[in-house]
Amino acid sequence: MLELPTFILTAWGLATVLTLFLLVRIFLHRMYRRYPFFTFYLGANLLQTAVLSFLYQPYGFSDTTHGCGSAWATQAFVVVARGFAAAEVSYRILGKFKGVWALAMKTLIACGAIVLISTLYFGTRSYPLAVITLEMSLEGFIATWIVGSLLFARYYEVPVEPAAGMVGLGLGLLSCCRLLNDLVFERHVQAYLDVWNYVSGVAFLCVLLLWNWYMRGPATQTAHDPQLNTVQVYQSLIPQVNRKLAELNQQLSRFWRTESPKP
Amino acid sequence: MAHGVAKAVNSLFFFVAVAAGLALAGMSFWALRGASQRKGHGHCLGALDSVPRDLDYMSQIRQSLDPADLEFAKAKGGRHLESRLRRERRQVSLLYLAAIRRDFEQSLRVARVIAVLSPEVSGSQEYERIRQSMMFRWRFQMIKGRLLIGNMPQPQLVALWQMASSMAVQMEQTMAKLGERAALAAELALQSEK
Repeated sequence: MLELPTFILTAWGLATVLTLFLLVRIFLHRMYRRYPFFTFYLGANLLQTAVLSFLYQPYGFSDTTHGCGSAWATQAFVVVARGFAAAEVSYRILGKFKGVWALAMKTLIACGAIVLISTLYFGTRSYPLAVITLEMSLEGFIATWIVGSLLFARYYEVPVEPAAGMVGLGLGLLSCCRLLNDLVFERHVQAYLDVWNYVSGVAFLCVLLLWNWYMRGPATQTAHDPQLNTVQVYQSLIPQVNRKLAELNQQLSRFWRTESPKP
Repeated sequence: MAHGVAKAVNSLFFFVAVAAGLALAGMSFWALRGASQRKGHGHCLGALDSVPRDLDYMSQIRQSLDPADLEFAKAKGGRHLESRLRRERRQVSLLYLAAIRRDFEQSLRVARVIAVLSPEVSGSQEYERIRQSMMFRWRFQMIKGRLLIGNMPQPQLVALWQMASSMAVQMEQTMAKLGERAALAAELALQSEK
């Protein structure tokens, strides 16, 4: 009976403890009401750790015939749960601003789809690595979604609840780390196999530490509901602004070419 | 050869994807900076109440940018006076340009606030505004560079300012009209309830 590497067992143990701490804090502060999908994602991670320990402990990682398919199935489940958590965070940040939220959704779905399809198309097509390619594309989609939401919030100067910001940052960083990890693994399969597990474990541990550190106190700050204007305000003003900007730019281009301005 | 091309594409994808992953990670930190300190948007619309005051100094700025003025100074006070005046007036022009930029950014900020507080937003309008503002900033830097090397048709600076300011004035007027209409609608609704 092969044993799993000590580092992996330690990482899984630490991740389990940190996830349990986090879930206890979430239930104590009643944050599960505002972040149900994120809570579910943490629960899914716990479950995955238990299942992976059960699957890999008898045979180790090097045996690919026993339990490998089931292990990847659990990973697919966790990635999808992370996707839902990312969408929830995005809604918490932008959802109150209906116009911007509608625009952000269309833009982010389009960008995420481009990332997903490109990764699937250009990724390695060999059967053994197909799962890695699929995971890469999903992680790319999630990372694009999260970072895109934060960029929209920054551009429109939307105040972000600290809880939403930290959860979003953690999810985004985790997806980026997994994406980079899988990219390197896809290219250097043999040399990188052991390191791939370590990097994955350490990345998740770091994000869990970040979330635990942030949630050490009760979350008191919540964003107020904004008072939206009527749609006529936007429809009256914004086309004027854009026309003026276009005229301004025409004026600037004339300056650059040292032509005389039109009266 | 096909295998070589596939390998090159694969390598290119790898480097592009790694760069994109690192960029996404970096942007997530950058986008979140100061996020919880951002205030609500209600106070920003008050910026429209103060029309840019640089308009009050336009005649003095216009005179300072007049080349005939420098020729007169040279004729009366010599080259030393003329070069000192030119230097100081270039500084004034740069400050004026900075004021134009501030007015422009303020108007853009108000436009962003209006967009975020609107229940419907047009993607094409938002994209157009982003595109125009990027073009403005790029060309602004080019003009500033020309001004720094002393090669700038001065009267156009005044026209540029007028355009940037008129945007703010128009927005203020439209907001005032919309405010009047909203007040009238509220009054009518109140009367009909009675």
